[in-house]
Amino acid sequence: MEADAIKPLAAAIAIGMGALGPALGIGLLAGKAMEALGRNPEAVGPVQQNMILALAFAEAIAIYALVIAIIILFV
Amino acid sequence: MGKLLSNPKLLVIAIAVFAVLLVSVAGGALGASFGLGFLSGPIPFISIPAERVAFIGSYPLLNSTIMFWFGGLILLFIAWRAGRKPKDVPSGWQNLMEVIYEFFSNTVDGVAGGIPKAGRRFLALVTTIFLVVMIINWVGILPGVGSVGRIESIEEWAHHHLEEFEVEVEEAHPEYNHEQVEAAALVHLLEEHGDDTFVAFDGVFVPLGRGEQARVPLNKIITFTEADLHEIEEAVKNGDDLSHVEALENIHHDIEAGVVKSEFKYDEGGDKEKAYNFTGQTAGLLVPYLRGASTDINTTLAIAIVAMFTVQIWGFRALGVRGYGGKFLVNPKKGPIAMFVGILEGFGEITRTISFTFRLFGNMFAGEILLIAMAFLLPLIGIIPFMGLELFVGVIQAYIFAMLTLVFGVMAVASHGDHDSHAEDH
Repeated sequence: MEADAIKPLAAAIAIGMGALGPALGIGLLAGKAMEALGRNPEAVGPVQQNMILALAFAEAIAIYALVIAIIILFV
Repeated sequence: MGKLLSNPKLLVIAIAVFAVLLVSVAGGALGASFGLGFLSGPIPFISIPAERVAFIGSYPLLNSTIMFWFGGLILLFIAWRAGRKPKDVPSGWQNLMEVIYEFFSNTVDGVAGGIPKAGRRFLALVTTIFLVVMIINWVGILPGVGSVGRIESIEEWAHHHLEEFEVEVEEAHPEYNHEQVEAAALVHLLEEHGDDTFVAFDGVFVPLGRGEQARVPLNKIITFTEADLHEIEEAVKNGDDLSHVEALENIHHDIEAGVVKSEFKYDEGGDKEKAYNFTGQTAGLLVPYLRGASTDINTTLAIAIVAMFTVQIWGFRALGVRGYGGKFLVNPKKGPIAMFVGILEGFGEITRTISFTFRLFGNMFAGEILLIAMAFLLPLIGIIPFMGLELFVGVIQAYIFAMLTLVFGVMAVASHGDHDSHAEDH
């Protein structure tokens, strides 16, 4: 197979596989945060703040995969 | 619905919104497949490194640098407005800055141990990182950034790329003279970039209404065949007089002219076959004058290095050279595992810098591409909700950058000894 033909496939696999883990992580994180809010609605502030921070950590992994995919496609 | 029909003002607005939606759908990528697509331009060239726009002496001025300076000016302006006439009861800019200051003042104290003023030493850097990153993220999505620029001609493009290849050729064949190096580099360039595509410019503006496939392949601008390249290569190898090689002369002439020479077909023989005729128009690439500073990896790496370097300084100041250095260089007598953990910790500092860099760069660069993609799918309106999203992402990324610096700083100043002394108390 030619390099150009496999490029889009490689990028798709990179971002697809790379998004899998963070997706699960973000789902778990948000689910746990909702649970915590259900038990203790007064703690909205700190829970939300920490949740967003942790979400960004998980999301960063997907962004790394995205950067790899972009580099494969365009460089 | 009844309310909408009875109120003529609302009705007019609703019809206008619907009309804009219709125009944008028909003019975008969706309409292009039905033969419309009068608003979609040729897909822009996505360049990961920032582009040079000018030279100050020999210093190349990057378009992302300009935006960083612009962000700095805005911050200076805000600081000047906020501190000009301080009042006891703050309002306006002063109020805004006090809110930010108070928020971070409380946050650093909270993270650093919950005692008032415990986080004093972190406050300045953390707040600065937040403000700088937020401002450069926000100015990066202003209209005109990344979309207004000059046309880089084929000659400039070739010159730019030839430099790399010339270095390669010179290393491989130190016996070549200048002309031979140039010719060999040109052959390499055409071999490597022969499939590159360019935009045909009709005057100054990026032409709208051609659809995303309307990019001109390089072989319609520079005519060359495999045989031509082979001929040049042979001539270079044999050390012939290169000024008599006709193919080389033709290629040089085409590069200098930089115009589209003939019409071309996109997806020839396929389902999407479409003929384009841009004969005589200048071909080139758009080099934007401005580019969001955080979409340049140099900017994010610089901020990350400043952050992590300062974290090390905090560590050394709080624990001393032996105390802080002991985290990384553990005496092997304490056991091989402890030593190995220490080395890992040292690598951790480096990987943190890299992950800082790529987190911010990746988020902002991906945002930029998202905006470009939406401008293609739904011109006029598709970009609006994503602009809002980018504003949000800009703050969140700035907040994360600042908070992580704070957390790493707190970890650096916390000594291992703390646990031991607690254990002795019990």
